[in-house]
Amino acid sequence: MKIRSGFICGLMGMALLAGGKLASSAAKSSVVSQPSLPPQEVDLRSMIEGEKRYRINCGRCHQPPHRFSPREMAMAVRHMRVRAMLTEEDMKFVIYYLTH
Amino acid sequence: MSFSLFSRRFLASVCLAMSALSHAQEGTQTASYSVNDSQPVPLLSGGLAFVPTWEAGTPTLVSIISPVLLAPLGKDLVFESRAEFEGDFQPRNGTAGDFTGAVQKTLDYMQLDYIGNRYVTISAGRFLTPFNVFNERLYPNWIRNTQSDPLIFPLGTGSDDGLMFRGGISAGKNLNLNYTAYFSSLSGIDHFESERHVGARIAAFLPRERLEIGASLQHQLQQQHLNRLGWHLVWQPMRVPLELRAEGAFSGPEGSGLWLEGAYRLPNARFAPLRRAQVVARTQAFQTGSIVGLNRDLPVSDTKRTEFTFNYFLKDGWKALAGYGRTFTALGNSNIWTVGMTYRFLLPLGSRQ
Repeated sequence: MKIRSGFICGLMGMALLAGGKLASSAAKSSVVSQPSLPPQEVDLRSMIEGEKRYRINCGRCHQPPHRFSPREMAMAVRHMRVRAMLTEEDMKFVIYYLTH
Repeated sequence: MSFSLFSRRFLASVCLAMSALSHAQEGTQTASYSVNDSQPVPLLSGGLAFVPTWEAGTPTLVSIISPVLLAPLGKDLVFESRAEFEGDFQPRNGTAGDFTGAVQKTLDYMQLDYIGNRYVTISAGRFLTPFNVFNERLYPNWIRNTQSDPLIFPLGTGSDDGLMFRGGISAGKNLNLNYTAYFSSLSGIDHFESERHVGARIAAFLPRERLEIGASLQHQLQQQHLNRLGWHLVWQPMRVPLELRAEGAFSGPEGSGLWLEGAYRLPNARFAPLRRAQVVARTQAFQTGSIVGLNRDLPVSDTKRTEFTFNYFLKDGWKALAGYGRTFTALGNSNIWTVGMTYRFLLPLGSRQ
C-alpha cells in the first residue's frame, strides 16, 4: 500500500513539475510573441482587447464598477483573478482597460 | 484509504507542486506587461442590503452588512477575507408587535492566495466551498438578481477550512478552462466550522458565445460519506441583453434539484429611466432524498418555487428591487414578497496614487 501511495505521489509530482516547465516555456514564448508595434498602436489594441475581455468576463456576474485609481484596480482585479478565475492575460488586459 | 495516508499524499503533492511553481515563476516574471506596474493598495470593500421579506404572511426585516478585506502581501500573495453580519428581525408576536431577532455573525472566508503562475493559484485557510458557482460568484446581495437563496443552495456549499488549487487557463482562441480542487478538514471552532471534504470543479468557457458550462463533485470524508454532484450553466448571448443562469445539484440521501434564471436588461427602452432596469424570472424545483432532514437547511418536502424580480440600478453602487414569488409544496403554498435596497462600497486603505 505504501509503495502504491508513493508511486501515485511520484506520478503527481512529475506531472506538476512538467506543468511548471511548460508554464516556464510558455511564458518565455509569450515574450517573443509580443507585437513590435509603435507604443500608441499597442496601447490602442490593448484598450480594445481590454474592453472586450472586461465585458466578457466581469459582466458575467455583476454590473460595471465605479472608476477606480490604478492602485485600487490592481487590487480588485487581483482579487477577481482568484475569485472568478480570470486567466493571466484577461487580468492584464482588464487592468489596462480600467486604468487608462 | 485512511485519513492520515490521504493527508501524507496530499502534503507530499503540495510540496512538489510548490517546487514546480517556484520553477515556473522564473518564466512568468519576464513575461509581465508594463501595464501592471501599479502597486495594489489594500481595500475595504463589500455590500450593504436591507431587504424586508414577507413569506407566508410573516414579515422579516433582513439587514446585511458584508465587509470584504483585500490586502496584497508582496507580488504574488493576496490576503482576502469576508464576514457577514445578518439581522433577521421578526415581530415578537408572529405578525404584530415590535420587531426582534439576533444578529448572525459569519466568517465566509479568510484565505491566503499564492498566485503561483498562469496555471495555478493556491489558497489556504477558510474559503468558500467551490461547489457550483452561486456560492463563490453570485452570493453577495448587490450581485444576485433574485434576493432569496436557491432551494439547492445548502447542498455542498458554505465554507471550508483547508487547501485549494485553482486556475483559469486559455486553451485556445475561443476556449478558457477553469478548475478548482480542494481538500478541507474538520473543525468545530466557533466561526471556523468546517466539514472534511475533498472535491473539484471544472468548467469550460467559450468567450465568443459567452457560454460557460461546468461540473462539480464533492465527497464528504466523514459521517455518511456523501457524494454530491453539481452542474452549472451561464450564458449571455452577444446580441441580446439577457443573462441565463442555471445550476443543478444531486445527493442521493439529501435530495436533488435545479434552478433556472433569466434576467433581461432594457438598454434600448424608449423611456430613458427604464434603461437602468432589469426584469428577472427564476424557477426552481427540489426533490427530497432518501433521508429527509439529513441536511437541516434543505426543504423537508418536495418544493417548487417561481419568482419575479424588478431590479433598478441607481448611481454609485445602489440598487433598488422589488420581487414576488410563490412556493408550492405538499405542506401548503405560500407567497414571498420582497422589497429593498442594496449598496456596494469600496474604500482604499492607503494612498490611492
